[in-house]
Amino acid sequence: MKKRICALLLTTAMAVSALAGCGSGGGGSTATTGAENAAKETTAASAGKNEMSVEGDDVTTLNVWTFIELHQQFYVDMAEKWNAENPDKKVKLVLSNMAYDDMHNKLSLALESGEGAPDIVDIELGKFPAFMTGNIGLMDLTNAMKPYESTVVQSRVGIYSKDGKSYGFPTHVGTTVAFYNDELLKEADVDYTTIKTWDDFKEAGVKYHEATGKTFACIETSAQWMINLMLAQKGGDYLDAEGNLDITNDKMVEVLTYIKEMQDTGAFATVPGGQPDNEEAYPFYNSGDYAVQIMPFWQTSRYTNYMTDLEGKVAIAAVPSFEGSVVETIGGGGTGTAVVASGEHAELAAEVMAFIKLSEEASNEIWNVLGFDPVNTAVWTDTNLTQNPDNQYIKYFINYPFDVLNEVKDHIGLLQSCTDEKAPSINNEFCNVTLNSIYEDGMDIKEALEQSQDTLSNEFR
Amino acid sequence: MKKLFYSQKLAPYVFIFPFVITVLVFWIAPIGNGVLLSFQDVLKDRWVGFDNYSRLLTDKIFFKAVWNSIKYMVGTLILLIPFPMLFATLLNNKMLKGAGFFKSIYFLPALTSVVVGGTIFRLMFGESSFSLFNQVIGFFGKSPIKWLKGANTTYFALLLLACWRWTGVNILYFLAGLQNISTDLYEAASIDGASKWQQFRKISLPLLKPTTVYVLTISIYAGLSMFLESTMLFKGNNSPNNIGLTIVGYLYRQGVEKRAMGYACAVGIILLIIVMMVNVLQLKLTGTFKKEEK
Amino acid sequence: MGHKGMKSKNQKSKMEIWLSTILFVILAILILLPIWLLFIASFKPGGDLLQYGLNLELNIDRMSLDNFVLLFKGQHEYWTWFFNSIFLTAVTVISTLAVSAFVGYGFAAYDFKGKNILFIIVLLILSIPLEVVMLPLYKQMSVMKLMDNYIAIVLPFMAHASTIFFFRQYLLGIPKSLMEAGRIDGATEYGIFLKLIVPIMKPAFSAMAILNGMNAWNNYLWPLLVVRSSDKYTLTLGLNTLINPYGDNYSLLISGSLFSIIPIFLLFICFQKYFIEGMTAGAVKG
Repeated sequence: MKKRICALLLTTAMAVSALAGCGSGGGGSTATTGAENAAKETTAASAGKNEMSVEGDDVTTLNVWTFIELHQQFYVDMAEKWNAENPDKKVKLVLSNMAYDDMHNKLSLALESGEGAPDIVDIELGKFPAFMTGNIGLMDLTNAMKPYESTVVQSRVGIYSKDGKSYGFPTHVGTTVAFYNDELLKEADVDYTTIKTWDDFKEAGVKYHEATGKTFACIETSAQWMINLMLAQKGGDYLDAEGNLDITNDKMVEVLTYIKEMQDTGAFATVPGGQPDNEEAYPFYNSGDYAVQIMPFWQTSRYTNYMTDLEGKVAIAAVPSFEGSVVETIGGGGTGTAVVASGEHAELAAEVMAFIKLSEEASNEIWNVLGFDPVNTAVWTDTNLTQNPDNQYIKYFINYPFDVLNEVKDHIGLLQSCTDEKAPSINNEFCNVTLNSIYEDGMDIKEALEQSQDTLSNEFR
Repeated sequence: MKKLFYSQKLAPYVFIFPFVITVLVFWIAPIGNGVLLSFQDVLKDRWVGFDNYSRLLTDKIFFKAVWNSIKYMVGTLILLIPFPMLFATLLNNKMLKGAGFFKSIYFLPALTSVVVGGTIFRLMFGESSFSLFNQVIGFFGKSPIKWLKGANTTYFALLLLACWRWTGVNILYFLAGLQNISTDLYEAASIDGASKWQQFRKISLPLLKPTTVYVLTISIYAGLSMFLESTMLFKGNNSPNNIGLTIVGYLYRQGVEKRAMGYACAVGIILLIIVMMVNVLQLKLTGTFKKEEK
Repeated sequence: MGHKGMKSKNQKSKMEIWLSTILFVILAILILLPIWLLFIASFKPGGDLLQYGLNLELNIDRMSLDNFVLLFKGQHEYWTWFFNSIFLTAVTVISTLAVSAFVGYGFAAYDFKGKNILFIIVLLILSIPLEVVMLPLYKQMSVMKLMDNYIAIVLPFMAHASTIFFFRQYLLGIPKSLMEAGRIDGATEYGIFLKLIVPIMKPAFSAMAILNGMNAWNNYLWPLLVVRSSDKYTLTLGLNTLINPYGDNYSLLISGSLFSIIPIFLLFICFQKYFIEGMTAGAVKG
């Protein structure tokens, strides 16, 4: 009896597999093949360890932790260039990619216990302030940055600094831009180039929704890309001038009310996964359920990797603004690459990473490989780079991405609170509680903000 | 010396020695350490007296986490003790064909890891109208629900996941208990004209008490320390409005994610106190203490 | 087989059997449903899962073996995790059973000073979640230089309270005369345990092997804190890294998840009788 069950199971499994094999051979939808291939390629590079093979005797091994798998290839490419230029200081990178939360948690535990930390680590902007309290376990990189000082946007270095010391190499500016699915908008007779203000944006959204019944843009419930942008444009923030928690301020209420009103018209809706840069949201964008994303520039690589069906349909434009906006746009997100101070090869690691992230070659690679807007804005105007017809990002989008960047270049602001040590907790509260209460549960905006202000005050006291 | 080691007087202490060491090194020491840490701000390396505890008393999220954990525990107790007991009683019938087959099928979910099981459930409770549960309610004419964004639907999902994983295991516990009961008792009762229900109430239920107490104890334990199930349903320790946050989740959030080790240790001490209270109460009510002390 | 001779049973109990069979079939279908969903999903593109969730839909056109090709031929660390999990589970089970049986016997076979208080400690610890001591224990382990080391995962739980409790319950039923006979034959106390007791504990061992094995296979939070290098990840830790907003790894996640059940499931189906006998016998006390 037992043997029969085993045999039965195995044959069933085989029969089903054979059947499925035939099915796929019979001609699936061609549109998705690209997506699947892309997914497979990224999978191959993801999940775990990636080791460089370097020849020679005197090679220093450096352990690198990342939480974005795309960064790994970039680091390897750049490290190879470093090795070619510095044969006496060759390095071998051993890269481990981990889940976002896990990686930051492990880092905090490792720094705490002084054991098991890597040499080099990518720390996300939102988590950075958490590593700036108490005894800082990261290395002061000010000296390593010196050679590149003149070409790098200093405000992006500033967000990884404390008391005049820099602890992270920036990767990109993260200029917040608007990604419009032009094909969908045209169907509804909406011209994205005419959207200049948030009122225009609202009008276009309502028109689009009425024409198609679909959602114009998503409401973020687990991120604050759009909220931060609007808040900064209004000159608002999460903290008051003295650095005290103040999330119930009028500007905040206005921003959240705008979004709430858009939700009421039906033009905005929440998205599965809670934000546009989420694995659950990509398929919904890919299939055209949402038309617009207000996202930092680095979303480009998410498009080419995870929303492949939209190739040739998406345009990049400057974000809408308010009358009398304080800033046109802001830098959003970011990854500061830090060096662990207690590492045996910390000095070398700092030197290598400065080259990998800040040199001119690096800036080119950051755009070519990662699709980010490099912190070295000198390259933004280099047409060899910005209009290179072979570049996958330039091919993907219907207009030149850098045209928009150059348009807003001198008006990129920042929320002051993002470097404050209160920021991680505020973000956590917003992304878990506040935004969900308002946009999922329909709680009154003022009430939700007051409730969160209470919760956070208790934590900060 | 050697003689002493082999003596009947010392032998019992040699036997329990590994346990004593384990308790001292891996339980007493960390608990003591945890108590000390709970009076500190570890990151700033200073003593803060009862600050961590007084902050806990006004921390609404902590109370939410405690409430979520207790609610979950009570739910699992209600679902995972009577039903498996009933199923086990029915399965414990010699005339039922395929009992072995059923038992192994029911055990299968326990063999899948929570990471796998939780991911399956997360996707079954997906927001899209195509996900299983939305299709099920769609069949009854209801529109799709965002299951994992509402407190009640999340509670339902968590309990369903718990039932899926543990029903089979608990059935086996009760079956094992039932096999200790002599069939003569049932035969005698049957001859006296007792119905099946009476037999269950007068024979099975009382004689299953040791098993029930054991299952109860481990269920309280598992319920109050639940973390992974919720983490898997929400792809992390964060859930909308903290509907999936448990005590252990909060401990992890504070101690690891926010690096507030001292505060997290205070959470741990409170968890310890809750668990102890519930268990002492439970053992008192079921009279297990008295029996062991004899 | 001799089923034909059973016809003499009365109508009422036949009815009962039928009803309970129907109940158990329905229960079995409900319990198998999620696994069936996982099975069919493993043939679908990973992106579909994200978009549509899990459902019963069988669309042969969109199904393929791609996920399994990726699982077996792709460049990833799945198989490292897989064998790490098997190794760690085996080590945990063997060491826990050995140490806990030793201790359990001590509690069951002897009367000694402090036994009651120690046994109450067993009962209390049995009900204290590890998470209570997790953070201080982590600090302690890091002082002991055991971070990123499997020893830190196994060592604290070798004398495992609930396993000790189970063995003790099991051994209480063993007549003291057996030990007396051993002593008369000149065996030492430890010899009695090894030569007379261990052989009759086999059913209890197999029951506890299952339960401890399940726990070890599923262990997550503590290994997550202890393990650093990804080549030491277990299956639960590794699969969880695939659930990541910065990547689309569902193809591997779903085929890998399914595959993590198959070996243990086949093993279970083929040895189910042994498993269940062990569980049942394990609770026999007299």
